[in-house]
Amino acid sequence: MAKKSIVTWIAVILVLLWTLVPLYWFAKMAFQTPAEISVFPPHLYPHQPTISGFFNVLGYPYTSRSGEVFIAAGQAGQVKMGLLNSLILASIVTCITTVVVVPLAYTFARLEFQHKNKLLFAILLSVALPPISIMIPFYILFVKIELAGTLLGLVLVTLTITIPFVAWMLLGFFRNLPPVERLARIDGFSRFGAFVKIVIPMAKVGIAVGAIISFLFAWNEYTFAQILVNGTPATTIPASISGFLFQHPEPEHLAASIIFSLIPPFIVAYLLQKHIAKMNIVEPLG
Amino acid sequence: MRFRQKVRELSTFQFALLLTLPVFIFLIAVIIYPLGYAVWASFHRIIFFGGYRTSFVGFENYSAVLKSPAFWHSLRVSLRFTAESVVLTLLIGLGIALALARSFPGKGVIRSLAILPWAFSRYGVGITFKYLWRGHAGLPTALAYLFGMETRVSVLNHQTVIEGLAIGNAWNLAPLVAFFLLANMETIPSRLYDLAEIDHLGPFGKFFYVTLPYLRYTLFVFTVIVAVLSLKVFDYIFVQTGGGPGVASATLTYQIYKESFQHLNLGYGAAMSFYLLGVILAIAFTLYGVWGRKEL
Amino acid sequence: MYMKKASMLIVMVACLFLISGGQVFGVPESFEGEGLAPETNESVYFRGWQYRTHIVNDNVNRYNTELNGNVDYATITGDYPSIMETQFIAKAPLDILYGNPSQACRYYDGGWILPAESLPNIEKIKADMYPHIRDAWTYKGKLLGLSYFVTTRGVLHVNLQKLSEAGLAEAELPATWDDLYDQLYRIRDKGIKYPFLPHWFAEWYGISWAFFFETLNRGGRVADPETHKPLVTVDGPAGDTLRAWKKVWNDGLIPEEVLSYLEPDFLEAWGSGEYVYSPQQMYDFKKFNEPRYSRFAGYCSPVPYRGQSWGLIDSAVYLMSNRPRGKDHTRDVMAFASWYGYRDHEGELFVGQRWIEDSMLFTAYKEIMENPDVQAMMKKFFARPQDYETALEVYANTPYPKGVFNVVWAPEFNSWIKETLQKFLMEDKPVDETINAIGDKINELNSLYGVS
Repeated sequence: MAKKSIVTWIAVILVLLWTLVPLYWFAKMAFQTPAEISVFPPHLYPHQPTISGFFNVLGYPYTSRSGEVFIAAGQAGQVKMGLLNSLILASIVTCITTVVVVPLAYTFARLEFQHKNKLLFAILLSVALPPISIMIPFYILFVKIELAGTLLGLVLVTLTITIPFVAWMLLGFFRNLPPVERLARIDGFSRFGAFVKIVIPMAKVGIAVGAIISFLFAWNEYTFAQILVNGTPATTIPASISGFLFQHPEPEHLAASIIFSLIPPFIVAYLLQKHIAKMNIVEPLG
Repeated sequence: MRFRQKVRELSTFQFALLLTLPVFIFLIAVIIYPLGYAVWASFHRIIFFGGYRTSFVGFENYSAVLKSPAFWHSLRVSLRFTAESVVLTLLIGLGIALALARSFPGKGVIRSLAILPWAFSRYGVGITFKYLWRGHAGLPTALAYLFGMETRVSVLNHQTVIEGLAIGNAWNLAPLVAFFLLANMETIPSRLYDLAEIDHLGPFGKFFYVTLPYLRYTLFVFTVIVAVLSLKVFDYIFVQTGGGPGVASATLTYQIYKESFQHLNLGYGAAMSFYLLGVILAIAFTLYGVWGRKEL
Repeated sequence: MYMKKASMLIVMVACLFLISGGQVFGVPESFEGEGLAPETNESVYFRGWQYRTHIVNDNVNRYNTELNGNVDYATITGDYPSIMETQFIAKAPLDILYGNPSQACRYYDGGWILPAESLPNIEKIKADMYPHIRDAWTYKGKLLGLSYFVTTRGVLHVNLQKLSEAGLAEAELPATWDDLYDQLYRIRDKGIKYPFLPHWFAEWYGISWAFFFETLNRGGRVADPETHKPLVTVDGPAGDTLRAWKKVWNDGLIPEEVLSYLEPDFLEAWGSGEYVYSPQQMYDFKKFNEPRYSRFAGYCSPVPYRGQSWGLIDSAVYLMSNRPRGKDHTRDVMAFASWYGYRDHEGELFVGQRWIEDSMLFTAYKEIMENPDVQAMMKKFFARPQDYETALEVYANTPYPKGVFNVVWAPEFNSWIKETLQKFLMEDKPVDETINAIGDKINELNSLYGVS
């Protein structure tokens, strides 16, 4: 038993290192000034940490203990708008995606019918198109129908990404569930009833994972946001933080904004991952 | 009762269609105009300067792309980047899933931390790894100095830039794979593991004979997804290296961006896009033929 | 009877005149004082790039509060010129934007901008500008935009601390590019492995412009300013530039990763204080002498002009878009453009003054540059007061590559030559092959776009 838990600990520590080292390297910049960030050789930890970046990025000036004044970032308004819009966008997209994708994935995973594989691939095709290729006509279209610079437009575009991807991802999960429909039908449930009353509770785990993934897809969508909502009131956080590095780079502001932008996804992931718990699958035959 | 009767009479195919048709209509509606415009543009020469005008040129754009050495170089770069990303992402994703499937204190928090890389936008990951890999201010240089070797180590040099990019890509995408694998692993009946114990299977045996079969399909799906995402990516690479040094990391999407966006050579850029789309579909279909068909 | 008709006519005309505020007969709009306020409620969409946006926000707020304006300002992040072109093509709401002269020329040829020439008070504006800058911003006979900033990009910055570490005195500062390259070897012998941070970074204005300014500094030109025909020769200054580059690159004096830097990385690298020399922006003397941004604050000085110029004129203008608008709406756009790019309602060159005070951005307006208070203030931005005079002398002698800038194919040429020059270095291509390729490309672009 002792041997087993050492392996566990090593594995967990490796996972944490892999995940957190790049994150740490970037996050430490939020506590430094541009001069310290540019130092050669680079410091492994901030030598004179300051939290001014976090205040500046939200629009507040900050006076350090030594009396140095750090002015608010000009981008602060757009960063705040970005955080709010991203929350709204991600929540809406997650709800719609989950509601649409769960029945879709179930159908393709559990039921047999003609043309199944062709339809499956048709869904995949829609995400095979590189966004760069269609960006200009996309933008022209959205300006014409007055959806450019609106959250509604971005919701629609993001759904075209999340729905196919999450549907494909949930396919594998639904396939692995034990075949309970037959028994439910014998017990008198309709196909729809079987789905709702038996399958969904068992698929809670997959749905939770799908929701986390949709939320994050919507949260980090950058390519379309950069063109569609950049510089508008509907700007999302990935678009609004992309302006800190230009002719007057403020990498510490960028790092602080990214840290802020990680908090909502972390909370969402934490709340939903509780559903990814070991379940005791009851044998159908008792 | 009447509704239930009606539903039971639908064939399986029709039931499937009922659920999926709205989705298809929606996807087609959003994509069709831009796609159609791109197709039209690829057969025309579009000029914006000195008065907007277009002229039909048949397959000229398509053949010009094939004759351009930049296209072939970028195709090689894209394929190399994709292959490395897929291998790294799937292996690391599997590793993370296996590690997090165990129980240990703080599981909830650690799992939530593990998914954070996926919360970074493509731009964010690009910037993070730029600061990580740069010779001037990156981690390898810091470590080198820590261990007394006074040398500047840059991963973004022309020999290893693609590997550096692939690692960053894997960092971003591995949690995605890991979480789905994790969800899959939770559906494996524990009874099977008990049976494996009785058969005296060690940890590797348990993995290959009990765990892996349940994961194979998901692994196939994610191979396709990671391949598609890696072939489509632009911003992540552009913000980290700008296609450099030189053209060492100029993927096909970078060329398309340059032609369509910066040079406003829309016809040529559209033709190149369709080649890229062809490559993506070819890879997806090949993977399906070789692997997925066995699983479906 | 005729008298009656005539007097009625006169009265009607007088009324029309009064009602229209003089516009019916083409009396110039008075773009001063309250005349700069908007007359409609239509929004004026102002989209800028990411530079000191808190100042831009502030300026726009002043216009909106004091003159009841409707200016909607937002910052566009990312690849600004490409995004702006996309917005033009889509006829998105965009009225005022920034642009380098080459972008302005390209937008003009695309039919997307309304040149500043159309402003009613343009003659006054032109009179207040330096003639050579006015000339740089004039394309096909029209002044395209109003002054945002002017600077020298490529003025040699020297890190005085590192210089003394290398055992060199200020009298030994190089007078020409060749002097500089020779000196690098001596510095390396003193133990500083990478003494020089060249302007060879991977933006479209990085290594491409380094080639342009070094060729110009050496007395050559890349293309003819009027006909835009190529003027690069293998034995001339362009060839000399490439030969010098090849030598220092092959001798390992430049770190390879510079070729993949974007501008923030380039600025950070110089700010680290690790290099002795680097061609940088004139206005960044302020930044590199501030402890927040620079590790050698107080020691960053310009290399003087001693017969050879350094760098090229980098500038940007405020542009007005040409999208379909009502006549009055366009008038409001022009009024704001004049307020922002010229004098405010109190007659001051307000925005230009603020830029020079905050960021040391030079301007085309003589009144600001020759104002003794402004000059006194600028002296403080430098490491030492005498640096100000040194910098001004460099600035006064900085050339402008009209041949490759004021032409519609400038952006495409910039990105093509960036890749060509990087290949020249990394794949060790011969100088004559590269020079010939450059000449061929310019000819190709000229015929493609039908340039003179």
